Amino acid sequence: MDIPVKPASKSIDRFFAPKEKQRDMLALSPTLNVVLTILLGVGCILTLIPIYVIIIASLTSEASLVADGYQLWPKEFSTRAYTFLFSQGSIVITAYKNTILSTLAGTVMSVLMVGLYAYPLSRPNFKFKTFFTFFAFFTMLFGGGLVAYYMVTRQILQIQNSLWALFLPSAFSPFWVIVMRTFYQTNVPNEVIESARIDGASEWRTLFQIVMPLAIPGLATVALFSAIGIWNNFFNCLLLVDEAKYYSLQFTIYTTLNNIRFLLENADKMQGIVNISELPSQTFRMAMAVVTVGPIIFAYPFFQRYFVRGLTIGAVKG
Amino acid sequence: MVLPGAVWLLLFSYLPMPGVVMAFKTYRLVRPPTDAFIQNKFLYSLIKSPWVGLDNFRYLTLPTNIDATLTYIRNTVLYNLLFMVVGLVLSVALAVMIFELTNRFLAKLYHSIFFLPFFISWIVVAYVVYALGSSQGIINSIIAPMGFAPIEVYKEKLAWPFIFLLANIWRYTGNGSIIYLATITGIDRELYEAAAIDGAGKWKQFTHITLPHLVPVIVLLQILAVGRIFGSDFDMFYTLPNGAALVRDVTQTLDVFVYSMLRSSVPLGYPAAAAFLQSIVGFILILVTNAIVRKTKPEMALF
Repeated sequence: MDIPVKPASKSIDRFFAPKEKQRDMLALSPTLNVVLTILLGVGCILTLIPIYVIIIASLTSEASLVADGYQLWPKEFSTRAYTFLFSQGSIVITAYKNTILSTLAGTVMSVLMVGLYAYPLSRPNFKFKTFFTFFAFFTMLFGGGLVAYYMVTRQILQIQNSLWALFLPSAFSPFWVIVMRTFYQTNVPNEVIESARIDGASEWRTLFQIVMPLAIPGLATVALFSAIGIWNNFFNCLLLVDEAKYYSLQFTIYTTLNNIRFLLENADKMQGIVNISELPSQTFRMAMAVVTVGPIIFAYPFFQRYFVRGLTIGAVKG
Repeated sequence: MVLPGAVWLLLFSYLPMPGVVMAFKTYRLVRPPTDAFIQNKFLYSLIKSPWVGLDNFRYLTLPTNIDATLTYIRNTVLYNLLFMVVGLVLSVALAVMIFELTNRFLAKLYHSIFFLPFFISWIVVAYVVYALGSSQGIINSIIAPMGFAPIEVYKEKLAWPFIFLLANIWRYTGNGSIIYLATITGIDRELYEAAAIDGAGKWKQFTHITLPHLVPVIVLLQILAVGRIFGSDFDMFYTLPNGAALVRDVTQTLDVFVYSMLRSSVPLGYPAAAAFLQSIVGFILILVTNAIVRKTKPEMALF
């Protein structure tokens, strides 16, 4: 049950540090190095293609899209989709607001709840340590299934059709509890906690003023992962929200995509009812998808370091 | 301090657990009488609903439904096995290759790029599938001038295993490689130096030093993956095919099946029976796998 962990964070930091000591004897032969560099470079380009595809599609002019379909390099560029999105955009504005609010609330909640739950589990003298570790861990192995979950959230907790539905089900995670527990154990020396206690600090004060500041990289990882989890969450909204005013961003863009596909595929049957060229702009929808990714792409380079570090301290079994 | 988290676990994880009995009942939502001890509609109905034994499971195996049920189970298990094997091989390979790169700056840049898709939602990927593979998509714009017949992925069954596999590789390989990369960077360099002096090449070093160090992590992750073999990445399987009915045979997994039954008018016992299969069989599988690992290599067992 106990997952012992080897702190790998230091070594991975050193690994990515710019001027590392030469590993002469172990270095790859120059040929093999070039081959690897090219191979991985091609992999990277392939990885970026899907992102390129939606960006370029959103920048295609509507007329050229209707005439020639989607292209890798469109004949005619246009930024109209974006001007349209930002000038009018009422469908998106509500969804954006809902998603931003629930992301903020859910992130704060999960950092607090995970940070609080994991701390006693990391302390050797906590009496119910085994019980509460098992209490969290067991939920990773067994669950009541979707139907029971659906009934409980709707009939007992009654969080459907509210902003709560968008973040409360994602506001805690046993997985991150295990990771944080290990983080506390390896990054906060026992002596520091004991001396704080001897100086008369209460348990709470020790946690908030001594332990948590030392655990910021770990807590930041929890924060960023839960923020992205809630930002990208689609399932909570699908399962628990029926009213458009509480739709999340991902759900909104999914329903829009569904609508265009349906209309286009059935266009021949709907001759005279719907005129394809009068359909709400396809590029506009592609621009919507790009805009939901935007904040993540911009934030990514800043947080990437934390992600890697926080993750590697986790479930590595020594 | 554990209180808020414990309450959350109680509400969102433990409260649904007794619900697994719905699989053996004809669940009907009834209003509890005012003098009833339990006033909650769900709990009251859960207790009062009549037991029907295996009737709900029998529904799933009726001659009219058995094909669909088996198809969805097959999809779920096969896709999971495919993702487990391919994901493992590619993640380890990526970790080793990035580690061996001489240029540190490039290694960091590459790793950042490979990790990026993990942060992009499946819904956006569904847009990409649409822009690439719909009748007006990029693939058709490229192959049409070459004289090939147009492809429309929403009507093409054969395409979906590849789409899911590629999408899965794309989104998870970078993320999966992190834990292996962390383990590799933690291995003592002197081991490799000693091996190199003894004349071991890169491949020998990999099979004799790197791989044995990775095995505990691999085993740990695979035990957890086995427990999820009847589950699936709901968002991916639900949004990528975008509801296309023609390809349902190769795209629908148990999760999506349970969800669509849940939202349709069939009695709740039926999806509950399918969900029961997921939770109980998954749980048993994880216990069995762990027991086997425990027998052979006690130090690698999860619990």
